[in-house]
Amino acid sequence: MTTTTVQASHVHRHGVARPGVRHALGRVLAVLVRSIAIFVPVFLVATFVTFALRSLSGLSPARIQLGEDATREAIHRVEAQWGLDKPFFAQYWDWFSGVLHGQLGASWTNGADISTLIGLGLGVSLSVATFALLIGVVVGFVLGTLAALRRTTWLDRAITGFVTVISVMPAFVVGIVLIEIFAVGLHLFPSAGYVPAQQGTGPWLAHITLPALALSFDVVADVARQLRTSLVAAYRENYVTGAVVRGLSPRRIFFVHVLRNGLGPALATLGLKFPALVGASVVTEWIFGLQGFGRFANDSAQAGDVPAVQGVLVVSILLVVTFNLIVNLVLARVTPASQRGV
Amino acid sequence: MTTLSEKTKSTATDRTPSAPSVLAVRDVHISDRVTDREIVHGVTFDLTPGTSVGIVGESGSGKTLTCRAALGILPPHFEVSDGSIEICGTDITTLTPQQWTALRGATISAVFQDPASYLNPSIRVGPQIAEVIRIKKGLNRRQARHRAVELLQATQLREPELVYSQYTHELSGGMLQRVLIAAAIAADPQILIADEATTALDVTVQAEILDLLADLRERTGLALVVVSHDLAVVAQICDKVLVMRQGSVVEHGPTRTVLHDPQHEYTRLLIAEHEQYGLEKFRTPQEAS
Amino acid sequence: MMRRILSLTSGRIALGVLAVIALLALLGPLLAPQDPLATSGHTLANPSSAHWLGTDNLGRDVLSRLLDGSRVSVAGSLEVALTALVVGAIPGILSVYLGRAFEWVTLRLADTLVALPFLLFAVAVIALLGNGLTQAMLVTGALVSPLFYRVSRAATLAVARSQYVEAALISGASIGWVVRRHVWAKVLPSIAVALAQTIGVGFIIVSSLTFLGIGIQPPKPTWGGLLASDLGYLSYQPWAPLVPALLIMVTVWAANLLADTLRDVSGEAGRALINNRKAHADRRSKSDLVTTGGAR
Repeated sequence: MTTTTVQASHVHRHGVARPGVRHALGRVLAVLVRSIAIFVPVFLVATFVTFALRSLSGLSPARIQLGEDATREAIHRVEAQWGLDKPFFAQYWDWFSGVLHGQLGASWTNGADISTLIGLGLGVSLSVATFALLIGVVVGFVLGTLAALRRTTWLDRAITGFVTVISVMPAFVVGIVLIEIFAVGLHLFPSAGYVPAQQGTGPWLAHITLPALALSFDVVADVARQLRTSLVAAYRENYVTGAVVRGLSPRRIFFVHVLRNGLGPALATLGLKFPALVGASVVTEWIFGLQGFGRFANDSAQAGDVPAVQGVLVVSILLVVTFNLIVNLVLARVTPASQRGV
Repeated sequence: MTTLSEKTKSTATDRTPSAPSVLAVRDVHISDRVTDREIVHGVTFDLTPGTSVGIVGESGSGKTLTCRAALGILPPHFEVSDGSIEICGTDITTLTPQQWTALRGATISAVFQDPASYLNPSIRVGPQIAEVIRIKKGLNRRQARHRAVELLQATQLREPELVYSQYTHELSGGMLQRVLIAAAIAADPQILIADEATTALDVTVQAEILDLLADLRERTGLALVVVSHDLAVVAQICDKVLVMRQGSVVEHGPTRTVLHDPQHEYTRLLIAEHEQYGLEKFRTPQEAS
Repeated sequence: MMRRILSLTSGRIALGVLAVIALLALLGPLLAPQDPLATSGHTLANPSSAHWLGTDNLGRDVLSRLLDGSRVSVAGSLEVALTALVVGAIPGILSVYLGRAFEWVTLRLADTLVALPFLLFAVAVIALLGNGLTQAMLVTGALVSPLFYRVSRAATLAVARSQYVEAALISGASIGWVVRRHVWAKVLPSIAVALAQTIGVGFIIVSSLTFLGIGIQPPKPTWGGLLASDLGYLSYQPWAPLVPALLIMVTVWAANLLADTLRDVSGEAGRALINNRKAHADRRSKSDLVTTGGAR
């Protein structure tokens, strides 16, 4: 990273800015356009499937509000209130234009604004997910790097073994183990609940540490494994020999040349991992009693609250898409060569 | 070898034969430790400033291993099992990793076939040259950049400023080889090893790169080791030549002598193969005289 | 193929573990020493000769519940894998042959499915479309199908670009014939790898869903459900989650190991690997009379 930024600043200073800057800008634009070209259809298809769920489910707000033995007219009246008597595509259009304006509709169970409800839970979930990603990336990075640098030694085998074990642990198993050790056994962390960061960083961290750890195992395993593989592969590349012959130190070769190229695939796995992370939040939030996004999803699904579920899915897709966009942009910066001709 | 080089006074560059050798390879044997097989069975040559030695042979003849031994980058479980290599009077077996790092780039450097793969694909090529200058010569960023552009210019690249800010995948093979040469000579080494450096290039580009190397030798007193499977390449640029086959040197001597009067059957075969590819023009002056 | 897998230790272990789990699923309910649904006053008991793994909060025998629940988990993960195979592999292969429009649409669909957080989606779809594990697994299978789509498409592309297939098409062979004759042979190994992986993934999903109590009626025992009920009584029975958790992990691990082994032994590289191992074994058994060059 440093080299390119440095280079860019030099270009400015020497007044020959055009090629370099145009390059960088063009690349960012190209990545953006390409990502959007992929994600717009994804978003359209996903929202359509999401919306079609209601028709498929045959659920109705009348059932929830009026109970099983409501009269036909009463059901009709309620459904008309919710606009469910319109043709399918008219309904879809209403809903979709609402989504584009950030309006996800009202809950069938209590009529509350779904965007607000999700917004409330999102803070919890994003705190946990971000923390989990942080742990996953840092620990995965350290393990993967150590294994790659000491490949075929006992350390490499130990790390590989450890990574294998944690990669087969589902989030809920990790969650239970963590509660056992740190909450029930050692009383170090609270076993459930959440405190917003505004009420103190300490309690906030204490409450999100265990859920974040539970979520992070999967990320640790994937990042470590991928990083080890790609670093080992990068060390076999000729440009490493090239750098050695030019008299660069091993440390410099690792940080400037090998790491940069080895990081790409690991970053890409992170992009693929994110949906799983969002999904697993359903389980961890259930275990740790967090009133987050995943818990909201689970509760509304169980209650048959279709608009709420649709809202959750739309938001989760948005999260995934945004995250992937960021990953793609970072990737384009770190390994520009990988963007060529893709 | 020294005696041989004394005989080659007629070569284009007139050097004193007594100049201290920058690279002395003495009866080097290289073995694979795992299979316990000896791959290279004794190679000897001396390199003085401003001269060039060519090593010719088919793939697997041990020429690349010999060069790698001199650079201290033998593949895993290969080792110099006998003989010695001295760089500027220092036996390389006595070098610590730190000393090796200091020596490479600043004293001995190398360029290879497939130049694109020897440059980092994720970093613009210019900063990779500037990096060497900064690390090895202690220049600051601005000076290093300036020097790198100069080097790109010196390697006869048009628009060096533009090339500076490009990635490997944006440059052609010939341009990349020039960039790789610029990076290799960035810290002013005394020895440059060119291992099949022109092999994958078009014939015209190949000739240009060889001219560039010859020019560098003239101007800076760089000592060259040119490794190639192609006798024509070596003939164009080298004062002395070693012909290797299956790990052994089957013939060595001044280039003109070897080309004109090959002693070993394999050398004759190589020359015969080249007859119709224009090797003649290197032989005619000798024959005429 | 089978012989190649069995020639490696990792393959033997993986297949061995999976065979045991499969047997559990087949015979588990019959092996259960007690009625898995029968409650008793003996709640949260420690392991004893009557209850090898103790009892749960309603006094039900944990071992019996574990054995009885194995079928759901195994059947569920198989269902996920097979659905994914059908939904993914067939369009994957066809995408290479059926023209650009089909290719574009299926590629976009695959992109979409990958971007969906599948556990969340599975939870939503199942809750809305009816509470049954079969539907749940069908949906999950469809959601993880892009793996098969990509793998089979990549393998098919590699074959389709080969000259013998081109020659067959030029000489008038039908697409169906080409697929049957040439493509299957190349695509199968990569599909086998994906299948083993998906069984592992499916197992985690089934366990997660049953853990949440989705897609299953309450008294019916499942491995995930056992863990969920243990969660409330961790301070009384801290060891209780051990066996179901280990069972889940070992199964997933064996499936992953099988996938790795399959990847190692398939294709040209695999043949070389096996030969190499044999060569090594031979040499060792001949007690190194002659030091051969290592290469054979």
